[in-house]
Amino acid sequence: MDAAHHVGMADIIVITAPATLVTLGLGSCIGLVLFDTIGKVAGMAHIMLPESHCSAGAQVDKPGKFADTAVPALINEVCKQGALRSRLKAKMAGGAQMFALAGTQSEFLAVGARNIKETTEMLRKHSISLVASDTGGNRGRSVEFSTVTWMLAVKTLGKGKVDI
Amino acid sequence: MELRDFSTFQLDAIREVGNIGTGNAATALSKLLDRTVDMDVPKAELVSIYELGEHYGSPETVVAAVFVRSEGEFPCNLIFILEEHEAGMLVDLLLLQQMGSVMPELPDEIRDSALSELGNIVLSSFLNAINLLMGTTHMISVPGVAHDMLGSILDVVVSIYGQMGDTALIVNTSLMVSGADAQLSGKVIMIPDPGSLETLLGKLRVL
Repeated sequence: MDAAHHVGMADIIVITAPATLVTLGLGSCIGLVLFDTIGKVAGMAHIMLPESHCSAGAQVDKPGKFADTAVPALINEVCKQGALRSRLKAKMAGGAQMFALAGTQSEFLAVGARNIKETTEMLRKHSISLVASDTGGNRGRSVEFSTVTWMLAVKTLGKGKVDI
Repeated sequence: MELRDFSTFQLDAIREVGNIGTGNAATALSKLLDRTVDMDVPKAELVSIYELGEHYGSPETVVAAVFVRSEGEFPCNLIFILEEHEAGMLVDLLLLQQMGSVMPELPDEIRDSALSELGNIVLSSFLNAINLLMGTTHMISVPGVAHDMLGSILDVVVSIYGQMGDTALIVNTSLMVSGADAQLSGKVIMIPDPGSLETLLGKLRVL
């Protein structure tokens, strides 16, 4: 069994093969993985919200919290551990809307969709190709990324485990 | 006003509001089921949004949750949350009470609808009591139901408090129903909108 590293909310954790990255119970949050199969490095960010700029505090002490700060910070961290920027690929899961209230337009309930949009946009901006994703919907997800198979296992209640 | 500046006295006042809401919710649930419903003393807590999943249990615990949002002078969000099997037991109790028997072939949608209505009555009773206390008017949304992992359900707190900081103010309490052969309990979690806390404290005259 490889060492499993738990990625908590707003965390950015980088590992070198062989090991796994795990996040449990993602709802509207996103588990984003950047990896380099040749450099044998992978990192995961547990993104909570789309944008940092409307935040009350000026500086962001946990860059993993927001999609717009998590993507550059995660790129930086995996490259520090030996990944080559041009070889980086991305996989992500999460961004569900857990509750829908008929007849109300509550913006905060749709934060998952905004997380997906901003994360995808940031990856595009940094020219990293998103090779697999399982996002949206209304189910929570637990994810596990292996640096042996380079697959992201996504576990959903009622649907079981799917490798992407 | 920053959350960390809240005094113990102010948190106690908010907890008392939770107490009044829970009392009314327990009465409503008791009448509905014709059973004894006990309640815990509520807590008003400042919780780190990075530790939500762990704070209320294990993030992968399978739960059923009913969510409503209340708009008005004191906008807030409420979740009635139970472990999945206890939610099933609660629905059985309601169906037994209302229909005399539980039909084993009852489709999930009907059971979900019963759970949603149970949650709606519990949470509306909670909100009615606290708005009556404060003399405020409110409008409650249609309830939303989810069956999922505790961690993913609590992500909703992140979307309410995450943008403004790292801490959420949450009032939580438990309702215990004496069943036929087992006791079951559900949690009522109140998540006031960050901007509504001063209204609340002002109404309670503890600002």
